[in-house]
Amino acid sequence: MEKDFDRMNYYEMLDIERNATAAQIRAAYNAALQMYQPDSMVSYSFFSRDEREKILTLLDKAYFTLINEAQRTRYDGELDPSAISESGEKSAAVKKPVNIFEINRQQLNSPARKIQNAELKAKIAQNPLIQEIMARQEISGADLKAMRTGLGVAIEKIQQETKIRLDYLHDIEEGKTDKLPAAVFLKGFVRAYLKSLCIEPADAISVRYIDALQRKN
Amino acid sequence: MAHIWPIGGGKGGSGKSFLASSLGRLLAKSGKQTLLIDLDLGAANLHTMVDVPYPEKCFSDFVTKKIPNLENAILETPFPNLFLISGAHDSLDIANLPYEQKIKTLQAIGKLKYDYIILDLGAGTAFNTIDFFLASHNGIFITTPEPTSIENVYRLMRAIYLRRIRHFFSANDFKALGRKVKEHLGDDSRHQPENIVPIIKKEFPEKYALIKKDFNAFCFKLVLNQVRKQDNAALGEQICKFIKKHLGINVDFAGNISYDEHVHDAICQRVCFLDRYPHTRAANDLRVLNRTMSNAFGEQMMLNYL
Ligand SMILES: Nc1ncnc2c1ncn2[C@@H]1O[C@H](COP(=O)(O)OP(=O)(O)OP(=O)(O)O)[C@@H](O)[C@H]1O
Ligand SMILES: [Mg+2]
Repeated sequence: MEKDFDRMNYYEMLDIERNATAAQIRAAYNAALQMYQPDSMVSYSFFSRDEREKILTLLDKAYFTLINEAQRTRYDGELDPSAISESGEKSAAVKKPVNIFEINRQQLNSPARKIQNAELKAKIAQNPLIQEIMARQEISGADLKAMRTGLGVAIEKIQQETKIRLDYLHDIEEGKTDKLPAAVFLKGFVRAYLKSLCIEPADAISVRYIDALQRKN
Repeated sequence: MAHIWPIGGGKGGSGKSFLASSLGRLLAKSGKQTLLIDLDLGAANLHTMVDVPYPEKCFSDFVTKKIPNLENAILETPFPNLFLISGAHDSLDIANLPYEQKIKTLQAIGKLKYDYIILDLGAGTAFNTIDFFLASHNGIFITTPEPTSIENVYRLMRAIYLRRIRHFFSANDFKALGRKVKEHLGDDSRHQPENIVPIIKKEFPEKYALIKKDFNAFCFKLVLNQVRKQDNAALGEQICKFIKKHLGINVDFAGNISYDEHVHDAICQRVCFLDRYPHTRAANDLRVLNRTMSNAFGEQMMLNYL
């Protein structure tokens, strides 16, 4: 009999080894999201809404802890106090800071995708509303949504590409900050969202979105 | 003793009978003495898939004692080595077989001299279905890659799990367990087996050890049927991994069977799909599946109720 999900440690939750690399953690998190998101065929009907929410929250916690070198070291220490001395060795695999949101890099560079990107860019250049929004100093969730719909891209498509949870994407477009993950992650999410729409400079625009949100509160 | 492969799926139309008849055909073709038993007692139709249009005797004749022993209910099919016990007559409602009858049936099945016995079970989670499914360690779950079908196969898995747990408790102990469950989980929580098992572990540790051992002996299989090109080919593996993690049941993924219009054509013509369309992708999938399963299951099959 397996343990309850909430009694598993973060490695067990994500089904990874204790010495998993950042890439493995990221892949495991993606695989887990595929299984536990509300629209997943695997877990749909298996959980109640509350059970699923609980699991997704735990998964996020597990992922964001393990992907962060410092937090992971601390967590490993809590898990297994005797192993602290080894932890330096363990985290050798995560030396470089990793971009946790550039998930499907390969897919983004495929030939088919390149054609799509070119089409998106052409649409952006020809769409006056999008041009106008991009020039704004303050960018809201509604603005993001207006650009996406202007480009005729379904939100599910962004979800597939970025692997960001669909409910987060909706929250981002609705500017519901209270429900959103911490600011550090949020910026990564928005940036990935913009990148998948080929809206550049994604960095600068995501900063303007975050700033506007913070001012609002 | 024969290898016994019960096939259950929760949802109607997922392809239980199609799989049963196809595996039967393949095993028979490879020289194995193979018997198909239609235990979908409410809606028997397996005979139609193996070209026995007018079964002159059937399983219900055994239940009503019109036929003294199960062996006499066996019919030949047009295929060498393939035999059939057809399901129920329409006139007789034996969809809910009394427990003693079930035991009697299972014992009779255990005595039949065949290499392989395949049980085609009804949809749903009736005790009939569950008890026949648990007759062997090698139950095969079948589902299509649709949420409704997966929902029903999960329901069947949980029902089987609970039924098996019940097996280890006397009526009194089971009542005591019911009270403990209420204490721990409250009245209105979902009393799923995965929530009940931790309580058994805590309150009835010796029973927990038995149940755990019992479940480890099972070697269930999962088949995904009617898989279309655009479907997620990894879904079956994901389901098995998920079930292991959350239910603690071992289910091995056995393989996908492609969706193929020719299946419908063959059934309408009342000919065997594998013979009529041997070069289709679905036919190939079935052959691969049969090989996987014949290799994966151990030599000796045990009937749990004997
Ligand atoms: N691989 C397949 N490709 C295309 N069609 C299929 C496939 N498998 C099954 N079917 C279709 O699904 C129908 C139902 O199959 P089948 O009778 O085997 O289901 P069942 O699970 O036994 O249903 P019931 O619970 O009603 O007995 C078949 O008549 C056939 O048309
Ligand atoms: Mg059937």
